[in-house]
Amino acid sequence: MAQVLVVDDSSTVRDEVCNFLRENGLAVITAVDGADGVNKLKSDPSIKLVLCDVNMPNMDGLTMAEKVRNDLKNSAVNIIMLTTENNPAMKARGKAAGIKGWIVKPFNGTAVIASLKKLVE
Amino acid sequence: MNAHTVVVSKVLVLDGDEIHADTLKSFCEECNLIGIKPPLGDEAQVMAILRSNVDLGGIFLYENFGGAILQGLTLAREIHAARPELPIFLRRTEHTAASVLSDRDMAIFRCIYTIDNLQHLRENLDASIFSRVYPNDLVRGITELTRAALAMLFRDCDIDVETPYLVKDRIIYGEVFTLMPIESSWCRGYMMLQAAEQIVLDLIRRLAGKDGELMTFRELNSVLGEATNMVWGAFKNRYVSLENVRAELLTQVPIIINHPRSYISFGSDDPQLCLKYTVQERNQPTNPPVPIFQRFVFNLSWSPDEFKENPTIEEFVESGELELF
Repeated sequence: MAQVLVVDDSSTVRDEVCNFLRENGLAVITAVDGADGVNKLKSDPSIKLVLCDVNMPNMDGLTMAEKVRNDLKNSAVNIIMLTTENNPAMKARGKAAGIKGWIVKPFNGTAVIASLKKLVE
Repeated sequence: MNAHTVVVSKVLVLDGDEIHADTLKSFCEECNLIGIKPPLGDEAQVMAILRSNVDLGGIFLYENFGGAILQGLTLAREIHAARPELPIFLRRTEHTAASVLSDRDMAIFRCIYTIDNLQHLRENLDASIFSRVYPNDLVRGITELTRAALAMLFRDCDIDVETPYLVKDRIIYGEVFTLMPIESSWCRGYMMLQAAEQIVLDLIRRLAGKDGELMTFRELNSVLGEATNMVWGAFKNRYVSLENVRAELLTQVPIIINHPRSYISFGSDDPQLCLKYTVQERNQPTNPPVPIFQRFVFNLSWSPDEFKENPTIEEFVESGELELF
């Protein structure tokens, strides 16, 4: 059963983040865009944490977060955006959608692993 | 040239007249031009040299280049047919300057000058190659954020960048390129990253160690795609403001790509800002550095007078750190 879902259209980012989390003892699955992310969350209720890009084809990360809260009625999963964006308006939209936090790329696993593990527990 | 930019341009110098070589050399230095000259005695290989230099700003041609009187004109017709985007600046002698060229030949040249009238050449250089001003802070900022992005993706590699230069050529370098729209209130256009597929793929495979054996061009596409994404994101965070968004921001123009001919057009004739980065593995210093070219094409709008950096946001969170809400 997965604990973490990593959502990014870039395979480079998915591999980097997943490898780091797995090396730190976490069970991880991936999705390639927001629509795929929603489907993965629907089919695996064990997921506790989502690390999600914003700019993706088919469905962006903020829309995915809104769908998770409104359509899936899942308010328990912690969603952290992992993105190049640092726009206050986007962060405000994310907060309104109930996301838990924001990381501006590049991913620095060492700096955040302790906080991410707490969010999984 | 504009004093507040450090951007140069490369010109192919087909002169061959040693009497004026020092004058032209000094002139190029004053005008921020990097002159590329064919090796002496290799004038016959000019078209081959042209094919291997696809990021030029223009060509300096002497009408008697190649030895025979007006032999340069024959070469000019051949060059213009192959590379019509490149401005050709024709040098004539004091004796021949008065003689009239045919209308067809006149249309080939951006300007005709003599060694005694370099001011006329300078004015035409300003109007053609250096017609667009790229603010120094912008160019410096672009190199900083791009080097940071490439360093994150190509670990254990040194990332260098050459002096930025202006290009009139519309030739694509390599086989792989990414294309990203850039939209703001003061500029609209595209950023490209261009690379040769095999040498970058080989580098990625080496950096991945044993996992690299299974990598294909798809992994290369992903790495270049992510590099583009990171540079674009950093560029937007630093320079893009959507204040006073105007209706014309909805306009677009078709981008035309003829890949067998390595040709891309954005519909605009303006010179493009070009930077060349090199990725050198620290563990393999004898391997040649891998080049990646970056170009900016602000074909949809350009207002450098309105260029500014975004103010620093109050709650500054380092990239890579988690900002909890």
